[in-house]
Amino acid sequence: MSATPALLVTAALQRPQELVAYTLRQWEDLVHQARRANVLSRIAQSLGELRLLTRVPPAPRAHLEAALVMAQAQTEAVEREVAFLRKALAAIDVDLVLLKGAAYLIAGLPAARGRVFSDVDILVPFAKLAEVEAALMLHGWTTTHQNAYDQRYYRQWMHELPPLRHNVRMTVLDVHHAILPLTARLKPDSTKLFAASRPIGDKGRLRVLCPADMVLHSATHLFHNDDLSQGLRDLADLDSLLRHFGSERGFWEDLPRRAAELDLARPLYYGLRYASRYMGTPVPSDTRRRADVGRPPRIAVRLMDALYDRALRPVAPSDAGSLTPLSRHALYVRAHWLRMPPLLLAWHLGVKALRREEVTAQ
Amino acid sequence: MIVADLSYRELEHRLAGPGIRLRTGPVVSRIQSRLPAVVRGISLHYAEYPTEEDESFADFHVRVGRPRNVRRWLQPQAHFFVDGNLPFAPLPLDQAFPMLEWGLNWCVSAHCHQYLIFHGAVVEKSGRALILPAPPGSGKSTLCAGLVNRGWRLLSDELTLIDIASCSVVPLARPVSLKNASIDVIRAFAPGAAIGPAVHDTAKGSVAHMRAPSDSVRRGMETARPGWIVLPRYQAGVAAELTPLSKARGLMQMADNAFNYSAHGRRGFEFLVRFVDQCGCYEFAYGDLEEAGAVFDQLAARA
Amino acid sequence: MLWRAVPDDALAWREWDGEVVVFNRQTGSTHLLGELAGEVLRRLMAADRGATVETLAAGLTADPSEGDDAGWTAAIAEVLSEFARLGLAQPDTS
Repeated sequence: MSATPALLVTAALQRPQELVAYTLRQWEDLVHQARRANVLSRIAQSLGELRLLTRVPPAPRAHLEAALVMAQAQTEAVEREVAFLRKALAAIDVDLVLLKGAAYLIAGLPAARGRVFSDVDILVPFAKLAEVEAALMLHGWTTTHQNAYDQRYYRQWMHELPPLRHNVRMTVLDVHHAILPLTARLKPDSTKLFAASRPIGDKGRLRVLCPADMVLHSATHLFHNDDLSQGLRDLADLDSLLRHFGSERGFWEDLPRRAAELDLARPLYYGLRYASRYMGTPVPSDTRRRADVGRPPRIAVRLMDALYDRALRPVAPSDAGSLTPLSRHALYVRAHWLRMPPLLLAWHLGVKALRREEVTAQ
Repeated sequence: MIVADLSYRELEHRLAGPGIRLRTGPVVSRIQSRLPAVVRGISLHYAEYPTEEDESFADFHVRVGRPRNVRRWLQPQAHFFVDGNLPFAPLPLDQAFPMLEWGLNWCVSAHCHQYLIFHGAVVEKSGRALILPAPPGSGKSTLCAGLVNRGWRLLSDELTLIDIASCSVVPLARPVSLKNASIDVIRAFAPGAAIGPAVHDTAKGSVAHMRAPSDSVRRGMETARPGWIVLPRYQAGVAAELTPLSKARGLMQMADNAFNYSAHGRRGFEFLVRFVDQCGCYEFAYGDLEEAGAVFDQLAARA
Repeated sequence: MLWRAVPDDALAWREWDGEVVVFNRQTGSTHLLGELAGEVLRRLMAADRGATVETLAAGLTADPSEGDDAGWTAAIAEVLSEFARLGLAQPDTS
């Protein structure tokens, strides 16, 4: 395997204690790259936990503190959303499985600390989808993507309802019935996911995926080419999950078996490959070996490696504005606005269209 | 070193290359651009602002440029890049300097959450801050431009930054943006003020920028204590009248005009209560800038 | 019908000259309450086991000998229904 690309951000994520020795210029590069990769608050969180924030020079420290303010606000927003969600679906006989960030947060996992959140994702049985949707709309959620084509696209081909936005809170909820689109080659069986899911403390019908499934779900994001700009954040999530669950009895032995059962051997291969490559995640060699069964042809791996290297690479000053088609597609940036009406902001700043969705550099 | 220490040619050269590291109050922005309108705008408006050395820390990396493809010839457009990203849709090329200004405001409002950030102008006299929160079209920028030409120090014409720890207002003195009729009004009101060329057909109509008074730039790191929160309303022919506003309503007005108040949660609320408690809150109707200035001078004198 | 305010620790508030601004952690929202609404909320917060519209009205009426004042009751009912909409209080349906 070729040498791990030296990334300022991954070094900072893995060894935050080294940051106290950084020069201002290194801090500048780090803050910009980390913010772009949506992991600035994670780094800030680590430094805070190590009681090292006061040793950061004031100028970069302000950015770390600002990132923590946002992360905390988003944490509270997610907690609120989940509470509202429970209330809205209380009357329905349905188990709600929280996915991704919301799951990490409500289940109290280290992966949630300092994390940037956006939408709330839940998994419900396909048979309950209509009932759930009706209840949500009754409680103020409205579908986005109004046109018939999009609606069909989501319902027929994807694994979720078109995203729902709450009328008052403006928060977005993604209701899934599977973790991959119906059109995807891989077919992880949702029934199996539900069967293995675990309840969360005293939270009624709220559940999370079992550890292996949570890890595999996280790994599928890395495999799904669309949104590679979140790649580093997803890798940080995966690394955190693997380290946390790695101490559970039988976890490493179980993982390849479960991957095969869910038809997710390929994502597991990539997940372990990139987590160890970029985040230094310690993976037992036996698990690595057994996960190799999911490896695609060598050329596919090389292509994926290149795509990843490119997507995670910081943008050099001269690159800005002249990105190649490959990384243009890969660098899909979404700005997160917490409770800030985008139209108000756009008007205030006199700009006709504040693009919050996909933007591409030309 | 200040921007004026560079010759125009040097400025142009730097902006086209490594960029300049411009300090505006607590914020340092590395700015790059090859667009003549931007170079001219920086030369006019930022002449007296400090530029930091390369060993400093730049809070933002911004670039105003043109797309590097066929489009550049078909439809001259300016793009605003932050850290290589494009948060805005492009604008016509002649709006490049306003775009820089709007973009710099966006950077602060989107990222500087160590402060509470409000949409509104803020000026200072006798060490106390006069905050003018206002929805668009309320005339706050005109009033702000008027006041800073009658002895008030400019802290900001767009973003009021409040530091929680010190309970003080932090300056972000940058060019004051004027729209439509205000441009001529201020030209007449302050003939000595440096106002750049007007750009037309923007989303807000015609826009021009007035250079921040030298004093405001020189004192760009000097904070101000809570003073007054005043909601201005311009109406032609109306006599200047200051009406007390309840603090509760003053707080709600601030919250309504905030960029990141919600993000600070309970802590934000408790802080805003403390801040508003120390402010005199008013509504203000006026029809004449000179008269308005006199009213506020009286207010400051009573402090 | 018994009404309950949100838990004590969910609210932060401040009163100035009869007007109240209140922050609700459960919703993340900040509200301005007039004199009557502020008083209703305060009494509701103080009532450990909740309160009915009638008890609230009785507590607010200046002259107890006046008996049931329909005006007060209607006004308070409206305030409570607004509180429900805003998430500051809920009817106890247990």
